[in-house]
Amino acid sequence: MRMQSTASNNVIISPNSKQFFRRLKEQKYLYMMVIPGVIWMIIFNYIPMYGIIIAFKDYNIISSFFEAPWVGFKHFLDFFRDDWFPIIMKNTVGISLLKLIFGFPLPIIFALFLNEIQNSTFKRTVQTISYLPHFLSWVVLGGILITWLSESGMINELLVNMGILDKPVAFLGEPKYFWWIATISDIWKGLGWNSIIYLAAISGVDVELYESAIVDGAGRFRRMWSITLPSISGTIAILFILAVSGLLNSNFDQILVLRNPLNAPSSEVIDIFVYRMGIQSARFSYATAVGLFKSVIALMLLLLANWVTRKLTGKSLF
Amino acid sequence: MGKGYLRLVAYLLAILLSALLFVGCTSDKKENDSEEQVSSENGNNVEQEQASGDSEKSENSEETVEPGWKKDTSPVTFDWYVHFSWYNYNWGETLISKYVQEKTGVSINFIVPAGNENEKLNTMIASNTLPDFVTLGWWEDGVRKMIDGGLVYSLNELADKYDPYFYEVASPQVLKWYEQDDGKTYGYPNFAVAPEDYEKYEKIPSNQTFVVRKDMYEALGKPDMRTPEGFLAALKAAKEKFPEVNGQPLIPIGLHEFTDTGNYSLESYLANFLAIPREKDGKLYDFREDPEYIRWLKTFRKANEMGLLSPDIFIDKRAQMEEKIAQGRYFAMLYQRTDFVAAQQALYERDPNSIYIAVDGPANSNLDPPKLAGPGISGWTLTMITKNCKHPDRAIRFVSYWLSEEGQRDMYLGRQGETWDIIDGKEQYLPKYAEMAQNNREQFDKIVGQDPLWMLGNSLIQMRWAPEPGPAVRQLEEWTYGKAVSYAIYDNLIPPSDSEEGIIHSKIADLWGQTLPKLLLAKSDEEFDQIYQDFLKKRAEAGYEKLLAWQMQKLEENKKKLGIK
Amino acid sequence: MRRKFLARRTKGEVVFDIVNTIIMIVICFMMLYPVWYTLVNSLNDGTDAMLGGIYWWPRVFSLDSYKAVFADSKIFRAFGVSFFRTIIGTTVHVFFTSMVAYGLSKKYLMGRKYFMAMGTITLFFSGGLIPTFLLYRSLGLLDRFAVYIIPAMFNFYNLLIFQAFFREIPDALEESAKIDGANDFYIFFKIIIPLSKPVLATIALFTGVYHWNDYFAGVIFINNPDLQPIQTFLYRVIAETTSVQMLQNMPAGIRTTSVTSQTIRLATMIVTTVPVVCVYPFLQKYFVKGMLLGSIKG
Repeated sequence: MRMQSTASNNVIISPNSKQFFRRLKEQKYLYMMVIPGVIWMIIFNYIPMYGIIIAFKDYNIISSFFEAPWVGFKHFLDFFRDDWFPIIMKNTVGISLLKLIFGFPLPIIFALFLNEIQNSTFKRTVQTISYLPHFLSWVVLGGILITWLSESGMINELLVNMGILDKPVAFLGEPKYFWWIATISDIWKGLGWNSIIYLAAISGVDVELYESAIVDGAGRFRRMWSITLPSISGTIAILFILAVSGLLNSNFDQILVLRNPLNAPSSEVIDIFVYRMGIQSARFSYATAVGLFKSVIALMLLLLANWVTRKLTGKSLF
Repeated sequence: MGKGYLRLVAYLLAILLSALLFVGCTSDKKENDSEEQVSSENGNNVEQEQASGDSEKSENSEETVEPGWKKDTSPVTFDWYVHFSWYNYNWGETLISKYVQEKTGVSINFIVPAGNENEKLNTMIASNTLPDFVTLGWWEDGVRKMIDGGLVYSLNELADKYDPYFYEVASPQVLKWYEQDDGKTYGYPNFAVAPEDYEKYEKIPSNQTFVVRKDMYEALGKPDMRTPEGFLAALKAAKEKFPEVNGQPLIPIGLHEFTDTGNYSLESYLANFLAIPREKDGKLYDFREDPEYIRWLKTFRKANEMGLLSPDIFIDKRAQMEEKIAQGRYFAMLYQRTDFVAAQQALYERDPNSIYIAVDGPANSNLDPPKLAGPGISGWTLTMITKNCKHPDRAIRFVSYWLSEEGQRDMYLGRQGETWDIIDGKEQYLPKYAEMAQNNREQFDKIVGQDPLWMLGNSLIQMRWAPEPGPAVRQLEEWTYGKAVSYAIYDNLIPPSDSEEGIIHSKIADLWGQTLPKLLLAKSDEEFDQIYQDFLKKRAEAGYEKLLAWQMQKLEENKKKLGIK
Repeated sequence: MRRKFLARRTKGEVVFDIVNTIIMIVICFMMLYPVWYTLVNSLNDGTDAMLGGIYWWPRVFSLDSYKAVFADSKIFRAFGVSFFRTIIGTTVHVFFTSMVAYGLSKKYLMGRKYFMAMGTITLFFSGGLIPTFLLYRSLGLLDRFAVYIIPAMFNFYNLLIFQAFFREIPDALEESAKIDGANDFYIFFKIIIPLSKPVLATIALFTGVYHWNDYFAGVIFINNPDLQPIQTFLYRVIAETTSVQMLQNMPAGIRTTSVTSQTIRLATMIVTTVPVVCVYPFLQKYFVKGMLLGSIKG
C-alpha cells in the first residue's frame, strides 16, 4: 500500500502522460465511484456559491445578484464596529468552549460506560431511552426549562430545601448562569444521540483484544483505557476536529427560547444577532457577510485543529 | 471480475432504472397537470373575451354594474400564500368553503410557511415564484418589495379591465389610503375602519385594556389605580393580602412578553392610557419624551424597588404567560384583551368571580380618559394579486365578491338553512352552531370554518352577525367602547428596513429594547435618569433626526390621503 | 464464554457494575422525563392543562388532543410522504456517500488531495437560500418529490465519518482480494460493506432522522399540499411567532395558535416522533460486537 502511494505521488509530481493514463486505467473503478460525487458537489454546492458575492454588494431581493451595486467590505465593517460585536463574540466562543469541554467528552464517556453493561436488554433499553430527548423540539424543552428554572420552579424548590440556596434565584434572569444553562441543557438533550457514533465505533473493536486483556488480569478501567479508547480514537479525532471548527456556531433554536432581556448580556450570540439584524429585517448582504466571516474562521479552525491533532495523535481528517 | 461483478452491474442498472422510472412518473404527473392548466386557460380565454364584451356593454348602457363573478363560475383553483406560520385551513372541508366553492367555482390551495415566515416570502419574491394571491400584514417589508418589484397587479388595472363591480364594493377611502405614488392601489386590507367610521358606529372596540382579577380587586375595596400612588398601593396591598395563588407566589403586575425592541405594554400601550398626543406643535412627538410617560415608567421602577415586579415578567414567553393567566397568578395586567380569551374562559369555568375585568388604569396627572388604539384604516392584513396569477380576471372578481355584502355574509354565515337562518328577525347561526362557536371554537372552525377566512373580512359589515360575546369576555370589550381612537395617520411610519432610515430605526428600536429593562431595574430615580439620558444621547448618535424627518414627510403624505390638514 | 468471564468477576468489578447500573438508571430517568412530561400533558384535558403543574400523571385524562390531531385528514398523507422520503432518501444517501467515501479513502487515488479540498470547502461555504432555490428551479426539482432525495444524497461530513471507519479495516483483506483479481467495486460491495454495518447503520440513522425531521424543504421548495412532509405539519402547529405589530393590528375575534391548546401541540409532537423512535431498536442489532472478528476469521 505504502509503495503504491509513493508511486502515485511521483505521478503527480512528474506527469508523464503515458504513465498517467496507465494509472488512470488502473484506477478506473475508483474513479467511477468518486466522479459522481464530485459532479454532485459541483452542481449542488459550487454552482450556487455565486451567492457569496452579495456579501460585498448591497443586494435587494427585487434585483438580481449581479445587478446589485458593489460596496466592498462595508457590511463586514458594520458588523465589526457594532457595539454588540465584542459581546456576541465573547458569548459565542464562551458557550461553544464550554460545550466543547464538557459536551464533547461526555458522550464518549457515556458510550464507554454503557458498553460495560453486561445485560444486553438493559443496555439496549438505556441506549434507546437516552436518545429520546433528541427528538423533542427546543420549543417544548425550553418551555419545560423556563418553568423549572423559575423562582417558584422545582429546581429552586429542591436547592432551597436541601439548603444549598437561601432564597430562590431566577436562574434565567441572571446573566452569570446562562452559559452553564445552555451547556447543561444541550448535553441533556444530546448525550444519548451523540454517543451513537461512538457505540458504533466500539462495536467494531476486536473481541479477541478484550479476551487476552482479561487473561492478563486487566480490570474494567484498564480495558476501557487501553483497548476501547484507542480503538475508537480515530473517530474521536475526526469528530473533535469538526467540533472545533464549529466554535462560532451556536445552537440557534436553543438560545432563541432561553434568552430574555435580563440575560441578554450573556445570551446574545452571533447567530441570534444576525437573525435579528439581518434576516428579520431582510438585510441579506449583511447576513451573508457575517456568514462568510464565520465560514472563513471555521475553515481556519478546522485546518488548525487538524494540524494539531495530527501532530499529537497521528490521526487526521484527510 | 466475474459473477459478482455482473451481479453488481445488474444491481446498478436496476437502481438506475427505478430512479428513471421514478423521475418519469413524477414528470408525467407534472405534464398532465400543465395540460389541464392549459386547457382550462384556453377555456378561460374564451370566457375572458365574453367577459370583456359584457363589460363593454354595461359601460355603454350605463346601468348598475353587474357583479363580475356571476359571469363565470367554472372551477378554478388559486394558490394563496398566507404569511402567518400559525395559519391552518382546509379549503373544501368546511361548510363555508364548500358553499363558496359551489357558488363561485373558486377553490383555494392555501400555502403557509413554517418556521421563519420571511424566508419563504423572500425566496418567492427573489425567484419570482409567488402564487396567485398573497396575504400579509400591511406593515411587512414584503408589501413594498412586491409593489416596487412589479410583482403584483394593481387592483385598479384589473378592476377596469375585468370587473368594474370592484369599485362598487371597495371602500374609496381605503383605496385612497393604499394608493401608491403612481395613483394605483395594489392591495386591499381586511378589517379596515376609516376615521369617519368612528362617528357612524358607536361600538368600535379597542384591544387595549388594563385588567385586574375581579375577586381580589373587590376584596381590596376597588382601589383607584389611576395615579402612581394608588397604583403602587394597590399592587402592594394585593401582594400582602394574597401572597400566594394555589401555592405559587402572586405576580402583582403582568405585561406583554419582553422582546428585542422593548415591551408593547410599556410603550404605545401605556402612552395611550396616558392620552399622550402623537403630535405636538406640528411635529411628531415621541411619547418617550413626555414627562407623564417618564413619570409612569418611574412608577414601574419604583414598583420593582418595592419588590412588585417579578423576574418572571422578563423571562416568560407567551406559553408560560398563558398558563399563569389561566391560573390567575397575576393581580393586574396591562394586556391585550383579545390575547387571553382561552385563559379567561378557563378561569370563568372554574370560578366566574376569578376572571379578569377591565378597570381604569394608569392615567395622566389630569386623570384624562385614555385614548386607546382602535382599528385603523390600514386594517390588519393586505391581500394582493400577483402577476403570476393565471386567471387575474377570476381573481379580481373573487375579491369583489368577497368584499360585497353577499360575499361577507357567505364567508361569515355560510349557506342559509344549513348553518344560519333568520331567527327572531335577525340573521344568525343556527342554535347548534352558535352554541359550538361559544363552547368549542376548535370544532366550530373545523366544521363551519368561519374564523380563519378573514383575508378580506370587513368588521363593520360582519358586526351585525357576530354572536354576542360570551359572559367571560363581554365586560372587557364593552369597557373599551367610546375609548377607542383612530391613530390611522400614524400607521406606516416605519421606513423600509434596508433603507438608511430603516437601519436607523431598527438600531434605535434595539437600543430601546436594551434600555427599557435597565430603566425598570434601576436602583434609584437618579440611576434611571442617567440611563434615560444615555438612551437619548445614543439615539441622537444613531441618527434620530434623520429618521424623524423621514417620518414627518410620510406623515404629511398620510394626512393628505385622509384629507386631514 | 461470557458466563466464564462473569464467574471470574472480582469484587471491584461487582462494585463497578452496581455503580454503573445506578448511573445508567439515573441517566435514563433524566432522559425519559421530558418525554414523559410531554406524553402526560398531551393526554390531559386541554383547558385543565393550562393550569400547569402536570408532572407525573394526567390530572384529567382525555384523548381529545389526539382526536384533534388525527381529525385533520392531511396528516395521513403527510405521514406517507415522510415515510417514503425517509426510506428512499436514506437508502440513496448511504449507498452513494459510502461509495464516494470509499473511493476517496484510497490514498493513492490520483487527485485525491484536490477532491478532498473541494469537499472540505463545502462543509463551510454555501451560496445561501436564494441561489439554491434558483438552481433547483432550473433543475426542475421544485414541487417534486425528488427535491427531498437528490439534494440530500451526498454530504461531505458523513463522508468523513465513513472514511474514519473504513480506515480501521485492515488493508490485508483488500490486498488479498486484489491478488485474487477482484476489482474495486467487488471489494467495496463484498468486503467493505459487510464489514461496515455499524457505520452504515449509524449514518443511516442520522440520515433517516434528518429526513424525518426536516421541515425546511417542505416549506420552501414544495407548494403542493400533497407533498408536504409530517414535520412541516408539526412546525405549523407549534409555531408561536406573533409579532407585536400583528397583535396591535389584529382585530378582535381572530384566533391564532396562541389559542391552539398546548396539549394539541404536544400530542402532535408525540405522534410525529413515535415512528422514528421505533426504528432505532431495529437498527440496534447492527451495533453488535465482534462482527469484524468473525469475518476476518471466516
